[in-house]
Amino acid sequence: MSRNRLTVVLSQAQGKNPAKRALEESIAAALIMEQGLDVSVVPYLYDLDANHTGRLFLESVQGDMVILGWMYPRAAFWLLDRDGIKGHYGENELKPPAALDDDDDDEEGEPEPPKGIGSVDVPDRRIYCLDLRDFNGHEPYIEEVRRIAAECRERREERQREMASPAILQVGIVARAEEPAPFAPETLLQQPGRRWYPVIDYSRCTNCMECIDFCLFGVYGVDNIDRILVENQDNCKRGCPACSRVCPEHAIMFPDYKTPAIAGAPVGNITGLKIDLTKLFGGDVKDALQQAVVERDRELVNDGRSAVGLTVGIPKRQTDKPHGPKDELDKLVDSLDALDI
Amino acid sequence: MPDAVTFMMGKFAAEMPGDLLYAAQNHMWCRAVDGHLRFGFTAYAVRLMQDVYFLDWVVSAGDTVAQLRQIGHIETSKAVADLFAPVAGTIVAFNQELLQDPSTINVDKYGKGWLFDMGGDSRALLDVNRYHQYLADNWDKTQRLIKGKINTDD
Repeated sequence: MSRNRLTVVLSQAQGKNPAKRALEESIAAALIMEQGLDVSVVPYLYDLDANHTGRLFLESVQGDMVILGWMYPRAAFWLLDRDGIKGHYGENELKPPAALDDDDDDEEGEPEPPKGIGSVDVPDRRIYCLDLRDFNGHEPYIEEVRRIAAECRERREERQREMASPAILQVGIVARAEEPAPFAPETLLQQPGRRWYPVIDYSRCTNCMECIDFCLFGVYGVDNIDRILVENQDNCKRGCPACSRVCPEHAIMFPDYKTPAIAGAPVGNITGLKIDLTKLFGGDVKDALQQAVVERDRELVNDGRSAVGLTVGIPKRQTDKPHGPKDELDKLVDSLDALDI
Repeated sequence: MPDAVTFMMGKFAAEMPGDLLYAAQNHMWCRAVDGHLRFGFTAYAVRLMQDVYFLDWVVSAGDTVAQLRQIGHIETSKAVADLFAPVAGTIVAFNQELLQDPSTINVDKYGKGWLFDMGGDSRALLDVNRYHQYLADNWDKTQRLIKGKINTDD
């Protein structure tokens, strides 16, 4: 597990779908033949709790890492970040065939600048997440891992060149690289129970706290610097994505949810952001907030509590309110704010 | 029989055959086949959704459904949508081939890409000219809905 090797982790699908298992096996077999890679297999990333060996293994990885899993890259990346397995987001160049077809009529897909609060204490390494649902064969994944390995090697060499006396420092790096205890495949692959909880994308989250106000099951909390945090993951109600619907920034993901926007599909990218045409096909669609209230009430009643409807934790956004010119009273109030009393 | 009609969705020409009836609210066509009503997506619906990736039914053959009761779910390259019964009646069969490969909807929407057969009353369905009129009347609203969804909602 030297810092000069790239760690590649394949996260298995839930269940025993033979097609998915076959893809996993062909990818693992091909990766093992590649030079300069440390390849490991763990169960479904989302289900690993803090005590699972797979999670301990992921925590022990120090350098750049590639994760191949059955979920959107954004969901996988922020899921790891929540677990303290942090790094910078490695852009992958895997494009599912459908996304490539769309490239010519894609002028609406301008990426928006990030306005979220971001992660904290991010080490100088990259984590690349590849979605195993994109292709049926192993070849595109192997090619992409090769490309990433080359990119990481270049970055490493670049960093070494920037240092004053590379020869000595190189020795230093090798000396620092600790070999963690090996993880036995049987414990690594022990099948965890299914879990269900929200994952926050901090590149989008603005810490507005609407989720903590809305959720009545104690899932959310704040950390020691008052940042929103998914504190009690297993308090969350299986199948309920209500908090995701009230998030004004689409920052809350449920990787296993059926609609891509909630499962962590790319935001701001027209090929990934799917519109709901239910209304056009004859459906009587509730808006996101109404839907969230229905979902929350259902879970409250299941718990033997009373439904609260629209009376608790409803966002009080007034984004539609026009910004008129400030009058004397506004200026007076602003000046009071400035006094910091 | 009326002639086939074309509805212009911006630059895209959505063709609607003249020999079919149309469930305007669902954007489905209807044809009598073996004493049943066969339904499928119109070119208008397919153009909005684009490549179909996944199709799932939540009712079974033999079930009786009310009009606009949810019967399934579709996911495409551009959209997701719940699907609703175009008329009240009994579901006779779903197109099994689509469950293997739903992209037939894109390839042959008025033929092999049919969705389901059901028993029911087709009298409330529209002919091609009235469906065209419906599309024309609602085109502004539809565009607003889609743009609104892209900007503010999912």
